[in-house]
Amino acid sequence: MLNLNSLRFPRFEFPADLAPLRAEVREFLAQELEHYSPLVRSYSWDGIDPEFSRKLGARGWVGMTLPKEYGGHGRSALERYVVVEEVLAAGAPVGYHWVADRQSGPMIARLGTEAQKQTILPAIARGEACFAIGMSEPNSGSDLASVKTRAERVADGWLVNGTKIWTTLAHRANYMIALLRTDSSSDSKHRGLSQFLIDLRAVKGISPRPIRDLTGRGHFNEVSFVDALLPPDALLGNEGEGWKQVMAELAFERSGPERYLSCFVLLTQLIDVLKGRASATALAKIGAEVAWAASLRNMSLSVAGMLNAGLDPSLQASVVKDLGCHFEQRLPGLAQELVALEPALAGSGVDYQQVLGNLIQLAPSFSLRGGTLEILRGIIARGLGVR
Amino acid sequence: MNEAQTILDDSLSRFFADSIDREYLTRLEEISWDDALWSRCIEQGLGLVLVSETQGGMGGSWLEAFIVARACGRYAVPLPIPEQILAGWLTETAGLAPRAGVAGILPEVIATAAVAGDRATFTAERVPWGRHAEHFIGLTTDSELVVLDRANTKAITEANLAREPRDKISFEATPILARAKVALPASGVRWLGALLRSAQIAGAATACLELSVKYTSEREQFGRALSQFQAIQQQLAELAGAMASVDTIAMAACLALDERGLASAGRDAKFEIASAKCRASEAVEPITRISHQVHGAIGFTYEYDLQFLTRRLWSWRAEFGANGEWGEYLGQVALQEGGDNLWRYLTA
Ligand SMILES: Cc1cc2nc3c(=O)[nH]c(=O)nc-3n(C[C@H](O)[C@H](O)[C@H](O)COP(=O)(O)OP(=O)(O)OC[C@H]3O[C@@H](n4cnc5c(N)ncnc54)[C@H](O)[C@@H]3O)c2cc1C
Repeated sequence: MLNLNSLRFPRFEFPADLAPLRAEVREFLAQELEHYSPLVRSYSWDGIDPEFSRKLGARGWVGMTLPKEYGGHGRSALERYVVVEEVLAAGAPVGYHWVADRQSGPMIARLGTEAQKQTILPAIARGEACFAIGMSEPNSGSDLASVKTRAERVADGWLVNGTKIWTTLAHRANYMIALLRTDSSSDSKHRGLSQFLIDLRAVKGISPRPIRDLTGRGHFNEVSFVDALLPPDALLGNEGEGWKQVMAELAFERSGPERYLSCFVLLTQLIDVLKGRASATALAKIGAEVAWAASLRNMSLSVAGMLNAGLDPSLQASVVKDLGCHFEQRLPGLAQELVALEPALAGSGVDYQQVLGNLIQLAPSFSLRGGTLEILRGIIARGLGVR
Repeated sequence: MNEAQTILDDSLSRFFADSIDREYLTRLEEISWDDALWSRCIEQGLGLVLVSETQGGMGGSWLEAFIVARACGRYAVPLPIPEQILAGWLTETAGLAPRAGVAGILPEVIATAAVAGDRATFTAERVPWGRHAEHFIGLTTDSELVVLDRANTKAITEANLAREPRDKISFEATPILARAKVALPASGVRWLGALLRSAQIAGAATACLELSVKYTSEREQFGRALSQFQAIQQQLAELAGAMASVDTIAMAACLALDERGLASAGRDAKFEIASAKCRASEAVEPITRISHQVHGAIGFTYEYDLQFLTRRLWSWRAEFGANGEWGEYLGQVALQEGGDNLWRYLTA
């Protein structure tokens, strides 16, 4: 039975007392990003800049919701939302701390042992922790529950063997949270999985091999585990509950404003390039994109408001990601339809051409990473009651 | 929505679901008017949602107007209730006393010269339910609200694709019943009409989704319900997104109108209203395409409910401006503000 309420997006009004925070973040970004080219900004949450992450951390804008006793700032999810949407809209290079801030930190705060919290959360809040997500494997993509990399309980910890792939930043990260099989005897593939918090610097037998993506850059990796011995306390959460934990983790990936803001720099560049030479049709098309952006912002905000109120807007969040992805992926094509300038590589052409060149190439990944569009729509269909 | 608004939404759903079915809509397409349902709507105050309580209205905000207009769309209510709501608001905003009877809203701006003196002489196009109107309301190029009698008018009956009356009305020295300047742009009716149609589109889209989910869950092919097929599920997911996108921005536009009006010196509600109608009109394409596709041939028949919704959607897409027109407005705003200010504009 279709429950319409789970598809409604009540309007959410930011409390007025968040306005000063937004102004502060804007001022900070205006200064910090002054010399960043539009191309660099167009990497958005793919842009890696540890120095920037540290500065953001120093302002108290990373790990904002983490408890104070672990170096966090005890601030609300809404305050974090303000910071996140501002840094994304500005195209700040948040990639280094992105995963830690969005999902790993909150997970450790919720599931971690006292020791894990004390050693890692403060570093996350300082913007100094870079996390990798070890979920996908060569033979387990969308069918994530079929992962085979094994963690075997041995006398002095866990012995890990297998291969993870597409692991963003594994070659630079300090930590990985990996989904591993701890029990192969179970008849259900969803059982027998556990999550591990791995200190990539301390454990031997883990080798990331960078894989160049189609842009020629090397952001993701194949990570092989050969008799890698994790300490006994590397387990995150409960043994055998990895699947449940990972589903909760992926929900973090679906609910944020990054789902419609990764192409925002292209939209603003396109607007500037069109200035003074836009036909009525071009105006209508760019205007329709602006209407999409307006609608998406309202929806994204509504999800943030519902989360803040302790509700479970999981269907709404999936809908925003689906629409946001559609919006972002269509934009490069629309830009080429409206403006005759060719897409260009870094170093040639004007800013707009470089941004376009970059985002044309990145766009296919928007509907893959964090779960594909098809899988997402399956989740929505389940929410509609037809699955 | 607060509790009272949720109750309003629920009670409207029950009321319209009880009053309107396929046979009823079929009959109304032939006779174009039902006094009995109209009277019941008026008794419940649905025409006076935006009129203050001291004037005998519901004293609601544009959010209540949104709820009513969306319900009208969802149940394909074949009566000019959104238009009546608009008439009530315009009349009170102009400082005039509310007027009983069916109001004919004139979608286009009236040339001031056509209403000089105390008589009006001009022709108005596409007037919703014009043939049934007891008086007419429009705005002049000078932002004057004029209320025109129905005496000395001639109606040439026309209709939109859903056979909702959209008549050509000629005023031939028609008495002007009242007039007053209002603090609205001359095109105010177009803006507000666009907003109400956006809410109606959200409602009809909701009903399209409901029908599509229900039908594909019941209809079996290849030994299982259609909704079990992934290809169908993916289309339903897309349909749900299109509906939700329209619903959200239309509601946001109503709230913006409550907060900022349509003629403030600074930022008013025009951006949100234009976004709502642009999005709504654009979304009509996927919404109608997917709903029909998942229904197969039954959806293409007059005997099935879907067409009452989709023919309205195809018409409402263009009424008070299609996505092209509103997109052009938004494009102009965006270029004027410049790329660097777009984010500030969206978050203002
Ligand atoms: C830039 C980038 C960064 C990434 N970073 C990480 C990371 O840090 N950590 C990590 O663990 N993973 C990462 N991934 C991997 C990502 O999560 C997977 O690509 C994704 O889950 C899909 O898996 P796959 O690539 O194996 O595709 P497959 O699962 O093989 O799918 C291929 C196609 O088939 C479709 N398909 C699959 N199953 C079904 C089905 N049941 N019904 C219908 N269609 C189906 C898919 O939707 C897709 O269109 C990243 C990927 C990219 C592109």
